[in-house]
Amino acid sequence: MARNKTFNRRNVFIIVSVILITAVGLTVRLGYLMIAKSAEYAQRAEDLHERERSIKAERGIIYDKNGIAIATNKPVSTISVIHSQITDPERVIQVLSDMLGLSEDKVRKRVEKNSSIERIKSNVDKEIADAIRNYDLNGVMVDEDYKRYYPYGSLASKVIGFTGSDNQGIIGLEVEYEKYLKGTDGTILTLTTAYGAEIENAAEDRIEPRAGNDLYISLDVNIQKYAQQAALKVMEAKNANNVKLILMNPQNGEIYAMVNVPEFDLNDPYTLTENMRKDIEPSSLTSEQTNDLLNNMWRNACISDTYEPGSAFKIVTATAALEEKVVKLTDNFYCPGYKIVEDRRIRCHKIGGHGSETFVEGIKNSCNPVFMEIGARVGITNMYKYFSKLGLFNKTGVDLPGEAKSIMHKPENVGAVELATISFGQSFQITPLQLLVAASAVVNGGNIVIPHFGLQVKNPEGNIVKTFQYDGAKGVVTKETSDTMKELLEAVVSEGTGRRAYLPGFRIGGKTATSEKLPRSSNKYISSFVGFAPADNPQVIAVLLIDEPVGIYYGGTIAAPVVAEVFDNVMPYLGIEPHYNEAEIKKYNVGTIKMPDLVGLKKEELKAALKDMDYGDIYYLGEGDTVMEQFPLPGEMINLNSDLILYLE
Amino acid sequence: MTRTEREQGKSKKFHSYYDYSLLFLTLFLVCFGLVMIYSTSSYNASRDYNNPAYYLEKQGAFAVFGVAVMLIVSKIDYRFYITKLPVIKIKPVTLLYLLCIFLQTYVLIFGDKIKGAKRWISLGALGRFQPSELSKIAVILFTAYIVNLSPVKLNKFRGFIRVVIFMAPLIVLVLIPNFSTALVMAAIMVAICFVASRKKLYFIVSGIIGIGIGAIFIFGVSYRSTRIDVWRNVETHPRGYQILQGLYAIASGGIFGKGLGESMQKLGFIPESHNDMIFSVICEELGLFGAVAVIMLFVLLVWRLFVIAINAADLYGGLIAAGILTHIAVQVLLNIAVVTNTIPSTGIPMPFISYGGSSLMVLLFEMGIALSVSNQIKYER
Repeated sequence: MARNKTFNRRNVFIIVSVILITAVGLTVRLGYLMIAKSAEYAQRAEDLHERERSIKAERGIIYDKNGIAIATNKPVSTISVIHSQITDPERVIQVLSDMLGLSEDKVRKRVEKNSSIERIKSNVDKEIADAIRNYDLNGVMVDEDYKRYYPYGSLASKVIGFTGSDNQGIIGLEVEYEKYLKGTDGTILTLTTAYGAEIENAAEDRIEPRAGNDLYISLDVNIQKYAQQAALKVMEAKNANNVKLILMNPQNGEIYAMVNVPEFDLNDPYTLTENMRKDIEPSSLTSEQTNDLLNNMWRNACISDTYEPGSAFKIVTATAALEEKVVKLTDNFYCPGYKIVEDRRIRCHKIGGHGSETFVEGIKNSCNPVFMEIGARVGITNMYKYFSKLGLFNKTGVDLPGEAKSIMHKPENVGAVELATISFGQSFQITPLQLLVAASAVVNGGNIVIPHFGLQVKNPEGNIVKTFQYDGAKGVVTKETSDTMKELLEAVVSEGTGRRAYLPGFRIGGKTATSEKLPRSSNKYISSFVGFAPADNPQVIAVLLIDEPVGIYYGGTIAAPVVAEVFDNVMPYLGIEPHYNEAEIKKYNVGTIKMPDLVGLKKEELKAALKDMDYGDIYYLGEGDTVMEQFPLPGEMINLNSDLILYLE
Repeated sequence: MTRTEREQGKSKKFHSYYDYSLLFLTLFLVCFGLVMIYSTSSYNASRDYNNPAYYLEKQGAFAVFGVAVMLIVSKIDYRFYITKLPVIKIKPVTLLYLLCIFLQTYVLIFGDKIKGAKRWISLGALGRFQPSELSKIAVILFTAYIVNLSPVKLNKFRGFIRVVIFMAPLIVLVLIPNFSTALVMAAIMVAICFVASRKKLYFIVSGIIGIGIGAIFIFGVSYRSTRIDVWRNVETHPRGYQILQGLYAIASGGIFGKGLGESMQKLGFIPESHNDMIFSVICEELGLFGAVAVIMLFVLLVWRLFVIAINAADLYGGLIAAGILTHIAVQVLLNIAVVTNTIPSTGIPMPFISYGGSSLMVLLFEMGIALSVSNQIKYER
């Protein structure tokens, strides 16, 4: 110590002091970083560590009028790979390409791509996903997901629509009500290392997804089924291009059914249906052509295609004439089979002419010269006034995407010839739905309805989120005219061209039409029928269009009976019971009878026992001669013409 | 001779001192360092070598060997280094100095290049050796030796220059590949001279001049001025990544930290977080409290070295202790200053804690010398 001088000690002390001061300074700096800047930097660091994985929200369900789900979800899985976590790439490639039916090259490309996460395939069925999960491959992720599922397959396909790979609506109601159905995706926040590997057991921030709201619509699965079957039957029978059929409540615009056959399978919307593929080699299609064909297949022709309504449009002409009081029911007309307008000779469909007839008979006969005459009496200005009132210049406002507008002459371009053709439904185009809306207004007492499907939106807990209101113009046609028109149109069915739509027990009104497609020389037709029932208080109105039927093409002959068949099923379903008048009871053998006791009778004795009874068919079950049991049971009241089942021994 | 005999024989007996506080502080820091190396490196080690303890095992081996060396060195009288060796008639300190000059020259020519700098000599199976670490010991011992030859000369500026001229060859050789180590060495040299000098003025003047030259040097050389850019714009500069990640780690530790082993930033975000940036992970895992505790440990260490320095048996021992003190303090302060982005980035490891065999060995060797100095302190009972 002796040689260690005081100044040496002091100098060391100075050095230590400098060191301590610096240390204190750095500690302050640390404190600033770790307290004042802590939240800000920590957040930034967290942003760096967190990876967001979204949890898809379940899409809302679409329910029909009866509460039957027609668009639902089924659980599927998304398979993805995390490059940095794969330990055995060859096996991963092999298993995934085998299980998912993808080419090895395609899977290899994704597996070997150096990204943090790479989706291999979405919408994988649960069974396959579970099988892949059971392989327990490192770096392969199986995420639960939902896929839209349509339990009724092709039913009302063009109305309901379908969704894409991200569960977004592509066509139909799925698009129109996207914002209600969609829901809010949730997220899982996971912590990952700089190489993208997830850290196990790290606290996950999870934002739960919110399922979409459910949509309740006016479409009725059962009515749609009847209608679709009937339409399909006539399409096949008449070898037609397509058949459109809409059933609506004319009082409030609720659409019960909207059929566009051929429909397509909603669960497989990207496969062209047979009718779309005919005459085309699928392999020869470019992707653009395929797209066009698909768009055509998905097109809802009931609202997107316009046509010349033909004679069915006489409903509008007659309404305009009655409203303008330019014609009385008893007015007399003469049809020589044509009418000369300016220099044109415009034919009636009956070449020989209808001869002398009243206005009522003119409608029943669907006589063109009569309507050319009254059309001329109304004049184009007034005619267009009623077009406008009946909504023919506007879209109907139906809650479906892609509605077409009508194609009309400008009023200044309408001469006498054009007015004459307009009067019986030619030289302009409207959509079938527009015609249905106009006809509804005519028969429901004069109110425009807004045709629609959407009724209510409920949240997943079942509370009503929104009830849709559809308010159309009121009183566009007077009550008197409406009543008159109902009678006239009922007469068309009971005695006129619409005879084949006649249904015993029901009062049906309607109007037939046979529109020649353009160009006129092509001899291609659209046969159609607009019908409603009951005629005195319409509860259902229908329009049916058969596009290019082969053979007989008269609307009254081929379209009217289809509507009658649908009504026959739909009316009782809607709770409208038949009321037979005396003539009908007699003519169609309506009534009930008490079932006699047939047990113990021999087969040959049956004829005598049933002599006084009008029965349908007898079905024998078992071998033998003696009736052991019978159905219906003895003493039961049964309808006439019922079938009997007898057990023999 | 037993203790009782000694006490009986001489009533005024001088006892040898041995600074156990310093020893245990050192051992504690080494063990803490191993824990932190495992914490920071296990993820990357299992990624790269499939063995989470890869770095721990290597460092642990050095630590065990280094502690043994320290204990042996502590029992060697430090004055041995300035005693002429019998056969070759050279003092060990001169030998060490010449060896370092040779190794630094060798490394400049044949050294292994890692990340663009030639700093390592490959020793085959033993790994790599960084001669600049050894040179730090050489600077401490040799500067102390020269100053000790004639301490009064240090009272004049010329005396200081004489020391600088002696040390310059080694420092310049280190400076070429490794700026930060040269800086530490220069600091040690100046500190030793300062302790021996009666006059302060020329240190202040030359200090100012030194800073001026340093500034010109820093701003003049391109890659170092890039560092200045990075320092100023650490959040936007593309090369500020490592420092920024360190700042994120420090800041996200908060007051109490995330808990040992819970660092997120070590998971690949901070490159080689077990090296120079280890302090940022300490902050993240142990919080401000842990960081201050570590600083306090080093302050304690400095205090023990200070006690040894002022109580050393002779000026040479005192100068050595002051040199070691300066070495550790400068590295700790520079390291913390770098990770907190207080100064521009430069590669300085945290003594005892950062991963690195050469560095740990040299530090433990130095602590051995410090203990040896303490061992020569005699006190009356």
